[in-house]
Amino acid sequence: MKPPEGPARRALRMAALTAGVTGSYVGYLAQHAFLGADARQQKLKAAHTRAAQRMTAEFLSLRGPAMKLGQTLSLQAGVLPEEMLHELATLQMGAPGMHPTLARAQFTAAMGKAPEALFRSFAPEPFAAASLGQVHHAVTREGERVAVKLQYPGIRDAVANDFRWFRTVSKGAQLTRHLPGIVIAELEEQILAETDYARERENLEHFRKWLAPLEFVRVPRVYRKYSGDGVITMELLEGAHLDQVLAGRPSQRLRDTLGARLVELHYFQLLQVEAFHADPHWGNYLFGKEGTIGLVDFGCVKHLQPEFVATLRSVYLYPGDRTSPQFQELLEQRYALHGRKLNPAARKALARFAENFYRVVYPPEMARDAEPFDFADNKFLKTYMRESANLAKSRCALPEYLMIARAETGLYATLHRLRARVPMSRIVRKYLGKR
Amino acid sequence: MSTLSHGSVPMARPAARRRPPAGRRARHKQLTRDRIVAAALALFQSKGFEETTTRAIARRARVAEGTVFNYFETKEDIALHFLELEVSHAIAAVRNHRRLRRASLEEKLFALLESQIAFLAPYERFIGAAFVQALKPASKLGWSRQAAELRTRYLAFVQELIEESLPKGKPSALAWFGPPAFWIYYLGVLLYWLHDASPGKQHTLAFIDRSLKLGVAVLRKGTPA
Repeated sequence: MKPPEGPARRALRMAALTAGVTGSYVGYLAQHAFLGADARQQKLKAAHTRAAQRMTAEFLSLRGPAMKLGQTLSLQAGVLPEEMLHELATLQMGAPGMHPTLARAQFTAAMGKAPEALFRSFAPEPFAAASLGQVHHAVTREGERVAVKLQYPGIRDAVANDFRWFRTVSKGAQLTRHLPGIVIAELEEQILAETDYARERENLEHFRKWLAPLEFVRVPRVYRKYSGDGVITMELLEGAHLDQVLAGRPSQRLRDTLGARLVELHYFQLLQVEAFHADPHWGNYLFGKEGTIGLVDFGCVKHLQPEFVATLRSVYLYPGDRTSPQFQELLEQRYALHGRKLNPAARKALARFAENFYRVVYPPEMARDAEPFDFADNKFLKTYMRESANLAKSRCALPEYLMIARAETGLYATLHRLRARVPMSRIVRKYLGKR
Repeated sequence: MSTLSHGSVPMARPAARRRPPAGRRARHKQLTRDRIVAAALALFQSKGFEETTTRAIARRARVAEGTVFNYFETKEDIALHFLELEVSHAIAAVRNHRRLRRASLEEKLFALLESQIAFLAPYERFIGAAFVQALKPASKLGWSRQAAELRTRYLAFVQELIEESLPKGKPSALAWFGPPAFWIYYLGVLLYWLHDASPGKQHTLAFIDRSLKLGVAVLRKGTPA
C-alpha cells in the first residue's frame, strides 16, 4: 500500500496529476484538425482512457480523500465519458491493500495483541481494500466467521493534510462563495468521521436496530470484544457486489425488485430514521439471491435535524407549482434553519431542479403512484447532474445537500446500472408521514 | 547455548544417563547471565542508563556485585549483549517465516525492522539513552569491535535479502548502496520511533512502509522515481 504522505508531497502529486491528465488531451487536440470524424472519435476515446488511467493510478496511490474523490467521479454517469467511468469504477471495488506484515503490525498496534493471539484464524491477505482501510476474513475463538476491518496507519493525518491543501488551493472559490467554506468543513468532518471506528461501531449497532423494520436489509453484528481503535470486527455477510449481480444477467424482475428496495431503503432512512448511510460506493452493498441488501460500511453517516427532515417532507411530492410563492416559502423555511436567506439565483435553481428532475422522476399526482420510472436511459442522470451544477453555481448550498447529493448520486447511478423500473412516488409517499 | 565449548563429557559416565557437570555449570552460567541482563534492562528502563549502578543490577539480579563483572565488564557490555539478542531475534523472525520467502523486498525489510522495534518496545526509555550513549567517541555501543561486528552481521543479512530480490548476475545500485544506506535509514527509523507519540506508534508503521517503498524504488531504478 502507499500510505499517507506530507501535505506538500501530496499537493505536488495532485498538481502533477492535473498536468498529466491535461497532457492526455494535448496530443488529441494537436491531431484533431487533421483527422476524419471516426478517427477523431477513436482518438478522443483513447485520450479519455489514458486520462482516466492516470487518475485511477494516482487516486489509488494517494488513498484517503483523493480516492474518495475518484469514487465520486466514477458515479457521474451521464456527465463523464463512458471510457472514463469504466476506468474510475475500479476505485469502487478495490485498491492494493497493506502487505500482510504491515497489516499484522497495524492490528497488533491497534489491539495490543497479534491477530493469531485473538482469533482462531486470520487471513493475512485482505479480501477487500478501500480508501481508508481493508477487510480480512477471520474466525473467532467461538468459531464464528467474521470480517475484520483494519484502518491504514496514519490515515487521519493524510485526511487532514489533504484538506489543508484543498483549502489553500480553493481559496478563490471560497471567496466567491462558489465553494462555501461550510461545505468543505462538512466534507472534511464526514471523511474524518469515517476514520473514527468507535463511531462506526455505534452507527452499525444503531442502524441494525433502526433498519430492522425493512426485512430485506442486512446490517452486520459488531463483535466488540474483537474490535478496538482502528479495528472493527463484524459478522460476515453473504452476498454479491453489483458487478457480480449484473454479470449473472439478472431478470428484469430482480432488477426492479433490487431497484425498488434501494429506493425504499434510501427514503426510509431519510424520512423515518432521519439519518442515512451516505457512502454509496458499490463495494458497500451486498445483494443476496432473494433480493436482500447487505450494508457493510457505516463510516459515513449523516444525521439530520428533525426540523430539516420536516422541510423535506413538505416539499417531496409537492403537488402544486414549484415556482409559486407557497413552495418558495417552504424552501425559505429550510434556509432559515441555518440562519440564511435564500438568494434569488438559488430560489430559481431549486425551483428548476424540482420541476425538471424531481417532478419527472417522482410525479406528485397520486393517480400516477404505481407508474414506474425507467432508469435505463441515462437522460435523467444528465438532467440531475445539470441541475446539481446549476444549484452549485447559485452559491447557496446547505451542508446537508452535500451528503444527500452524495447518497442520491450513488442511488441513481446504481438504478441506472440495474436498468431498474421503480414506482418512485409510491415509495416516497409510503414514508412521507411522520415517524 | 552450546555446552561443547565449556568442557568434554567424561568417558566413564554415559551422557544419556547423567548430564555432565560441565553442562550443568554452563546452564547455570547462562541463567545467571540472563538474570543479570533482565535486571539491568529493567533498571535502565525505570531509572535510566546513566543512573543505574552495577551494585543495583547485582542486587536486583540477586548476585554478588563481583559476579556481574565476571559476565560483563561494563554496563555498555550488557547493552551490547541486549542489542545482539535483538538482531538475532529479528533475523530469525524473518528467516523462519515461510510466507516471507516469497514476499517483496520491501515487505521483508519491513518485517526485519518491525521485529526489531517489537523487541525494543518494552525498553524504549533505555533505547533513547543508549542512542545518545552510542554517539560518544569512547562508547563501546557505537565504536567498539563488538559493535562493528554486530553491525556487519546485521548488514550482511540485509545484503542477503537484497540479493535474493535481484536478478542473478546483474549489477544493481540496490546491491551496492543498499546495506550502507539501510544502516543510516535504520538509525533514522529508531529516532522517528522514539519520538512517535501516535497511538500504538502507528505513524512509525506508516513511515517505514512509505520510506521503504520510496527508497527501494529509488535504488532499483538508480534514479529518483
